[in-house]
Amino acid sequence: MTKTALQFTLLYIVLVLSQAIVFNNVCLFGVAVPFVFIYLIVRLPVTLSVNWVLTIAFSMGLLVDIFSDTQGMNALACTVLAMMRRPILHLYFPREDELSAPEPSVRTLGSDVYARYLFTMVLSYCTMIFIIEAFSFFNLLRLLLCIVCSTLLTFLLLLGLDSVLSRSR
Amino acid sequence: MQPRLCRGCFDALITLLLHMGNLWDFFLKYSRWFLFVIYVVASCMLMFDTNPYQHYVWMTTAGRFTSTIYGTRANVTSYFNLHTINEDLQRRTADLELEVIALRRRLRTLDEQLQTDSIARDSVAQPFGFIIAHVINNSVSRPHNYITIEKGSEDNIRPEMGVVDQNGVVGIVNVVGPHSARIISLLNPKMRLSCKVKGREHFGSLVWDGRSPEEAVLEEMPRHEKFRRGDTIVTSGYSAVFPEGIPVGIIIGQEKSKHDANFYSLRIKLLTDFSTLSTVRVITNDMQAELNALTEGEESDSRN
Repeated sequence: MTKTALQFTLLYIVLVLSQAIVFNNVCLFGVAVPFVFIYLIVRLPVTLSVNWVLTIAFSMGLLVDIFSDTQGMNALACTVLAMMRRPILHLYFPREDELSAPEPSVRTLGSDVYARYLFTMVLSYCTMIFIIEAFSFFNLLRLLLCIVCSTLLTFLLLLGLDSVLSRSR
Repeated sequence: MQPRLCRGCFDALITLLLHMGNLWDFFLKYSRWFLFVIYVVASCMLMFDTNPYQHYVWMTTAGRFTSTIYGTRANVTSYFNLHTINEDLQRRTADLELEVIALRRRLRTLDEQLQTDSIARDSVAQPFGFIIAHVINNSVSRPHNYITIEKGSEDNIRPEMGVVDQNGVVGIVNVVGPHSARIISLLNPKMRLSCKVKGREHFGSLVWDGRSPEEAVLEEMPRHEKFRRGDTIVTSGYSAVFPEGIPVGIIIGQEKSKHDANFYSLRIKLLTDFSTLSTVRVITNDMQAELNALTEGEESDSRN
């Protein structure tokens, strides 16, 4: 348990810093922005109480907000995502007690279910964050383009990150 | 009488405790929803706090922790664009040299004219000065863009100072920490800059419409005036923030104003390259406090 907690704390710090220093400056073709830090919310153990998940997600969003001067946008989207996490997982994997380990991963869910779960999470997050941002400029075509491109970019990056992390363990 | 009263009190207390227990159970059962609502309200409060001058320093990139991290990164990345920046500087130096030559010539002719009635020039009439600062964080792709620099209140930087680089206007200082400050970039709809076409007197306000980090719109230009593509847009000098005549951009197109048929909107290509910003100059104005006091006086007058 302590080992897992330590691993997740380390992942938290690394993800927030890499988002702040590297990924916040990436913007492919003016539309695709990677949101790599939500990987932690995807991977938190199912057994962890929802209160903890909410708190971790909110604090993470707030830290990313502070680093990118977005004032609460990421915090709001992260909180909603943390609340939606369990229903999304149930959608693809209804028998939660059959998990071999408490963390959702390729190993416990199978690559097919996991990819669908990951994609839905990323899509929900990108939809939320761009709709929140659209309060300043509203342009439907651009909004949809941003959501689709950012979802694809984030999804691919997270798949890459996943394969690297699972190999090293 | 006495014992009965005591008993009544005791009973009431027990009922209250039982109900408290129920209430507590209720809170525990739905704690995730309470926590969810609290977090959502907190983030919405942050998001809709629209006054840009009231953001807490620690909630922005001007905070100590964030600026230390960004300062470290800038130490590495500031080398990346040196080639382009060097070229811009060369061009600017060439322009300034030409201007110096022209001004010298003018000065000589004026001197000759003024030989008879000499007027003592007042050196106080030039109130503007510069502080050089390095950019440690910058964005161009978001709907609200901000820039962070590594100088703050201990280097005499105050909110609402203008910021320029070698090419043109960059933004206005917004939140100031002890060793870092956040600038509202021109690429931010919260920023409006009073500008005019060089050589003309009509002025309008420049805003960013979020389309491209290289373009902005100059609104409220009168319809009877004719403007040509390639005309230079400069600051109007109507506020204490920027002196008159700092280059901002070049006209690339003209469109009818959405709000009022009597006005034009001009599409402007910005001269400042926001994606390769590295060293900027913060404009200090000795008269700013005085001017602000004057305008505040006006406002309180009109309120009365």
